[in-house]
Amino acid sequence: MSTLTVNTLRKSFGQRRLLSIETLSLVAGKSYALTGENGSGKSTLLRILAGIEAPDSGRGHYGAASFDWQPYPDSLRREVIYVHQQPYLFHTSVADNIAYGLRARGVGPGQRERLIAAAIAWARLERLLTTPPQKLSGGERQRVALARAWVLSPKVLLLDEPTANLDAESRQQTIDLLQGLCAPQCTTVVACHDRDLIAMPGMQRLHLVGGRIEQPSTAAE
Amino acid sequence: MSLLDATQAALRLLLSGDPDLWGIVGVSLSVTLRAMLIAMPVGISLGYLLATLRFPGRRPLIVIVQGLLASPTVVVGLLLYLLLSRQGVFGQLQLLFSQTAMVIGQVVIALPVLIAFSLSAIQGADPRARETAVALGASPPRVAWTMLVEVRFALMAAVCNAFGRVVSEIGCSLMVGGNIAGVTRNIPTAIALETSKGDFAQGIALGIVLMVVALGINTAFAFFQGESQR
Ligand SMILES: Nc1ncnc2c1ncn2[C@@H]1O[C@H](COP(=O)(O)OP(=O)(O)OP(=O)(O)O)[C@@H](O)[C@H]1O
Ligand SMILES: [Mg+2]
Repeated sequence: MSTLTVNTLRKSFGQRRLLSIETLSLVAGKSYALTGENGSGKSTLLRILAGIEAPDSGRGHYGAASFDWQPYPDSLRREVIYVHQQPYLFHTSVADNIAYGLRARGVGPGQRERLIAAAIAWARLERLLTTPPQKLSGGERQRVALARAWVLSPKVLLLDEPTANLDAESRQQTIDLLQGLCAPQCTTVVACHDRDLIAMPGMQRLHLVGGRIEQPSTAAE
Repeated sequence: MSLLDATQAALRLLLSGDPDLWGIVGVSLSVTLRAMLIAMPVGISLGYLLATLRFPGRRPLIVIVQGLLASPTVVVGLLLYLLLSRQGVFGQLQLLFSQTAMVIGQVVIALPVLIAFSLSAIQGADPRARETAVALGASPPRVAWTMLVEVRFALMAAVCNAFGRVVSEIGCSLMVGGNIAGVTRNIPTAIALETSKGDFAQGIALGIVLMVVALGINTAFAFFQGESQR
């Protein structure tokens, strides 16, 4: 159980300073809703936390590790999982997509099969197994991407607008999945505009404005 | 001999399994296959590295590779000839007029095609593919492999293109192979040199074989290109 903390995080694109965060602590086991206007930098912040993008400067602390993104430590890479705003599925099969992170972690075939089967059941993907991933609908892709993350039992899960661009039914399915996505010790940050997500039980709010995080005390006021 | 007679003789040659004729076809395919087996891993890896690494001189290097795409094969042959001839730097190896020299020449001709095509295939891939692989914890070699698998159809198209180019090239094969019967005589050199000596039937027969190979390769190329754009 580790808290992920970042200090003095700066990120600019060209002349524009996008992020300027003095300190942000993501406490283990808590869930956060990251809100902010379009273009306020939610995706960028999540991508930096996940090590897909490097900030201009900043320090992070996670468990015993202290890092500055040059490079992003492998210990975090294994435990922090980011799900894209529009998830990308590899052009292989649904099962192979779910297996990807397990293979990267060297999980043996027997255990891999069991975990994949569990993830398929969890996200109710049984009927989609033979469909080529690029033929899936947006909601179905989202479910595969969530299963692909869930199967790795991440310690920190960063979800980028998981319900955007989905119709009402897919959105409800996704919200239902999100409730059971995380083990109790897992930290979740969900970037979203979705009121129902923000209002989910136990959600704390992180509001991104002017490159800074405003943290209203609780969401359920 | 009229064209009709020559064509009939050509078909007879093809169907009768004429050893000379099929020997020539064998030389062509064996040399080209060996060249492709060497050039494919090298060219695709270099294309990948050129697409993903950032280093000084990268842009000029890409321009050079793209320029080499248009290099006349006879000039490649000339340079190789100068290197392999007795007075050349590699003269000691005594490779001139051997299949090995032809293989080397075809590797040199195939490489820019493979590098340039795989470079653009990787650059054209969805940036989220790499990010997703990285975010799911893949090591750099695994990320590379994943990217190559993601653009596999574009790479197959590159391989077909390169194969089509080298199997039908004559300039280099002639320069460093020398059209030695049973050794380095391949389809293009046989057509060019034996026909002028009056062997029309063999020329037409070989022409038919080359056309069929080219057609097959181009059909595969079109298929893979279509798949890669889906
Ligand atoms: N690689 C980049 N180069 C230049 N500008 C960028 C880059 N990535 C993001 N930006 C800019 O940074 C700003 C923040 O982008 P970001 O995607 O983080 O916003 P967001 O809060 O996730 O928005 P949305 O709610 O629309 O998803 C945008 O103005 C965007 O144009
Ligand atoms: Mg965003």
